[in-house]
Amino acid sequence: MQRPVWSLPLSSAVISKLNRRGYQCTADIEHLTAGQLSTETGVKEEEASEVLDLVDHQRYPVSITALELLQREAELKPIVTFCSELDRALGGGIPLGKTIELCGVPGIGKTQLCLQLAVDVQIPECFGGLGAQCLFIDTEGTFFLERLREMAAAVVRHCSLLTEDQEQQDAMRTFTVEKILSNLFVVRCDDSMELLSQISDLPAFLSDHPEVRLIIIDSIAFPFRLHFEDLPLRTRLLLGAAHQLAALATTRNTTVVMTNQMTTRVQGEGSRLIPALGENWGHAANIRLLLQWIDCKRMATIIKSSSHMSTTVHYQINTDGFRDLSEASKRAKVQTEDQKAVGNS
Amino acid sequence: MVVLRAHMCPGLELQLVRDLREADISTVEELVSADLEALAQKCSVSYKALLAIRRVLLAQHTAFPVSGADLYEDLLSSTAILSTGHPRLDELLDSGLYTGELTELSGGPGTGKTQVCFGVAVHIALHLKQGVIFIDTTGGITATRLHQMLQTESSSLEEQIAALQRIHVFQLFDVFSLLDCLCSLRRSGLQPVAVGGACVRAVIIDSVSAVISPLLGTRHTEGMSLMMQVAALLKALVKDFSVAALCGWGCAPCSGGVLEPPSPHTAAAGGARPEHTQLQLLKVCNAHQVLQTALSHESGV
Repeated sequence: MQRPVWSLPLSSAVISKLNRRGYQCTADIEHLTAGQLSTETGVKEEEASEVLDLVDHQRYPVSITALELLQREAELKPIVTFCSELDRALGGGIPLGKTIELCGVPGIGKTQLCLQLAVDVQIPECFGGLGAQCLFIDTEGTFFLERLREMAAAVVRHCSLLTEDQEQQDAMRTFTVEKILSNLFVVRCDDSMELLSQISDLPAFLSDHPEVRLIIIDSIAFPFRLHFEDLPLRTRLLLGAAHQLAALATTRNTTVVMTNQMTTRVQGEGSRLIPALGENWGHAANIRLLLQWIDCKRMATIIKSSSHMSTTVHYQINTDGFRDLSEASKRAKVQTEDQKAVGNS
Repeated sequence: MVVLRAHMCPGLELQLVRDLREADISTVEELVSADLEALAQKCSVSYKALLAIRRVLLAQHTAFPVSGADLYEDLLSSTAILSTGHPRLDELLDSGLYTGELTELSGGPGTGKTQVCFGVAVHIALHLKQGVIFIDTTGGITATRLHQMLQTESSSLEEQIAALQRIHVFQLFDVFSLLDCLCSLRRSGLQPVAVGGACVRAVIIDSVSAVISPLLGTRHTEGMSLMMQVAALLKALVKDFSVAALCGWGCAPCSGGVLEPPSPHTAAAGGARPEHTQLQLLKVCNAHQVLQTALSHESGV
C-alpha cells in the first residue's frame, strides 16, 4: 500500500505541484534526486530536498521497551504537595512528565496548591526534592507574591528542622526565601491568544532554561471562557494546546499543572457541578484532581488517572500553605474512633 | 496512479518513456487503457513491443482474484484469537481480540480505556508470551502501572521482566508521526521490534482521537482524510501480518441521551443510555460498514 503525498506535512502549493505531474504516492518520488524533482515539478530546490527528506526510508520513530520506560520512571522523583495523604494517594506526590488538571469551585484552594507546588519543586535533592525551577503562567491575576513568600518561608523552616548531615547543612545555606523567589518565572497572559502563543513558545523556553521542571497554568479556563462565541473552534484550540503540553511534558520530563473552573449542568429537575471547558476537554489531561467541599471540609479526589486508584483525601489550607488536616484535628479523629471502638466492644 | 519510468519492465527504455510522455501517456493506467495501434504509429515503435509491455505491466500491477475456498482456508490457518485477560470482556468479543481485525474502544474521560489497553498488553506479553506494540499519543503510559499489573498476575521477577521487554512503546504526539510509524512498521514487517524473539501479535494505540480531534471540524477536510489514512494503514497492517489492533477513541461522556462519538466511521449509538459512566466497545469490520456490538458495561469491567 502506498502512502499518498497529501499525507505528508507539506504546504498545499507543493502538494498540488507534485500531483499535477502525476506524483501521487511517495513510491513515485523515492528514487528521484532533489534536482530531478525540482525540474520535473517546478518546486524550488530547497522544497524538493525537504520533500525527499520526508520520504526518506530512514526516518521512523524509535520505540523503547516497557522495561526501559520503567527504569526511566524510577529515576524521576515526584513533587510533594506537603499533604501526606494526597502524596500517599499519588504514590509520593505529583508525578513528573504528566499533565495534571485541578478542577474546583472558587475558593477551594487550586491556586494555593499551585503556589505550594511552585515552592516544593525547588526543595533541594538532599531533602528528597527536585531542586528545580518553575514557570508560573498567570491568566487570572491571582498570583500573590506575599502568599508565596509565606509558603516559601514555611518550607524553609520545615527543611531547616530536618537538617542532619553536612550535605543538608550546605544546601540550607543557599535554600532561602530569596532563592526560591528567584527560581520562579512568572508570566502574565491576558487573553487566549497570548496564552496559546506562550504555550507554543514553551519548547524554546525550556531549552533556554533546562532546570525548569514544573509549568503551572492558572487558570487555563479563564481566557477561553470570556468572549469565545465559536465553541467548536475553542474545543479545537484547547485540545491542540493540551496536546502540545502533553508532548512537552513527556519529552522533557516536566510536569504541567493546569487549573480549571466549574460550570453547572442542568439535568431534568436538578443540576450538578462539572468541570468547565466542555466534555471533550476531559480527555486532555493525564490526571484530574477534583477539589470540593464535603461536609464543610476540603476534599481532593483523583477522578482520572491511568496509574492511581480513585481516592478521596482531606486537606486544609493554613498559613503555612497546603497541608494535611491539622495534627490537632487528627488527634481528635483518632480519639473519637477509639471511643467508638470502646463503645462497640 | 503509477508514473511510467524507464526500465520498469523489459522493453521500456528511457527514449520510449519520453516519446510516450510527448504523446500524453505518463502513467501506467493511461498506457494500459490507450489505443495501442495509434500509439505505435505516433511513437514509431512496433505494436508487438507495446503489447508485450502492456502485458508485463498488467501482470505487475493487477490484484489477483482468490477463490472463496482458498480465502477461507487461509483465514482458518492464520487467524488467532487473543484473550484480553478479562473473562467478561472476552465474552463480549466472542472469545477475545481477533488477529486481522481492528477493534475500537471508545468512552468518555476516566471510564477506563487506558486501563483496558494496559490489561490487554500485560495479558498478551505475560501469558501469551507474544510481543505488543503500544503507541501512546497522550503521554498517559506509566510503566509503573504495567509493572503493578504484572505483579498481580505473576510472582516471578524474571517473567515480569521478560513481559516488560515484550511491550514496545512508541510515544508520538502528532498525526504525521503516527503515519510515519505505521508506514515504517508495515514496510519493515514489524521487524525492528521483534528483536526479543517474540513476534508481535497486537498493536494498541491509545488514543487515536488525541492526534485527530484537533484537526476535525474545520472547513478543510484534511483531518478526515488523515484519519481515514490512519484507518487504512492500520487495516492493511493487521491483514498483512495477522496481528490484532486495538485503538482508543475519546468521546463525550453520555448522560441519558444519545452517545455521539466524534468519529465519522462509527454510527451514533441510538437509544437512551443510563446515566453512569460507560465503556462502549465497537467492533469495526471494514471501512464501509460498522458492525456495532455496542453493549453497555459499568465502569467496573
